[in-house]
Amino acid sequence: MVASTETDERVVLDTTTAAGRVWQTVVWNDPVNLMSYVVHVFRDYFGFSREKAERLMLAVHHDGHAIVAEGAREQMELHARAMHDYGLWATVREAPQ
Amino acid sequence: MTDRLVVLEITRMEASHLTQLVMQFADLLDDPGDRAPDDPALARLVPDAYSDNPAAAREFRSLTQRELLDRRSTDAAAVLASLHGAADLGDRSDDESALTEVELIRLDRDAADAWLRTLAALRLVLASRLGIADEDDHHDDDPRFGIYEWLGYRLDGLVRVLGEGS
Repeated sequence: MVASTETDERVVLDTTTAAGRVWQTVVWNDPVNLMSYVVHVFRDYFGFSREKAERLMLAVHHDGHAIVAEGAREQMELHARAMHDYGLWATVREAPQ
Repeated sequence: MTDRLVVLEITRMEASHLTQLVMQFADLLDDPGDRAPDDPALARLVPDAYSDNPAAAREFRSLTQRELLDRRSTDAAAVLASLHGAADLGDRSDDESALTEVELIRLDRDAADAWLRTLAALRLVLASRLGIADEDDHHDDDPRFGIYEWLGYRLDGLVRVLGEGS
């Protein structure tokens, strides 16, 4: 029983480590894209509220970048590809530990 | 929202100039294969998705670049199709009053999205050509800045219309 429990815990821990790796889609500031357009893209693609989209746009504008999504790497790559489709400058990175 | 039409008012002269720009843009969209485009204006449309991992950036590019550039071509074709009637002066090409006539262009949601993406992309390409590195960069004596700002005015107007009531 005890051995079995230990095994189970180890499995759970391994799964957590593999799935727990968090990736981010980051949108970077550029001098070209209009603030209104960036808000539109965040609302249209991610379905964010106007408030959230404006907050993220302002973060991009003032801080130089903003994390617009976090999750599995494949999903973050899909988001980056979509941002490129709109003409936004986006990258994927592993979340800082 | 999906069934709503957006109506753009545009003079024949604007439609004609925009048609020229979009045609030049479409000519630019040569697929460089899996490498990053040499032209910085084109490269800006397909940026590296990984800033610190060249191998991952290359793989991402090999998976997405062709599709992104194809989509740009499709968008450009859709914009040109919607501009066709307004830009066509027919046998009145010498008639100056024809140039200032205002035409109405009706866009469904898909066409409006193609316009948005294309206007935004045209600005990115022009900004690259003009060396715009700062939001306040402007030179009154260079007419291309006027075009750049006109594209922004049109893009902003379209964004506003699409955002109404949502």
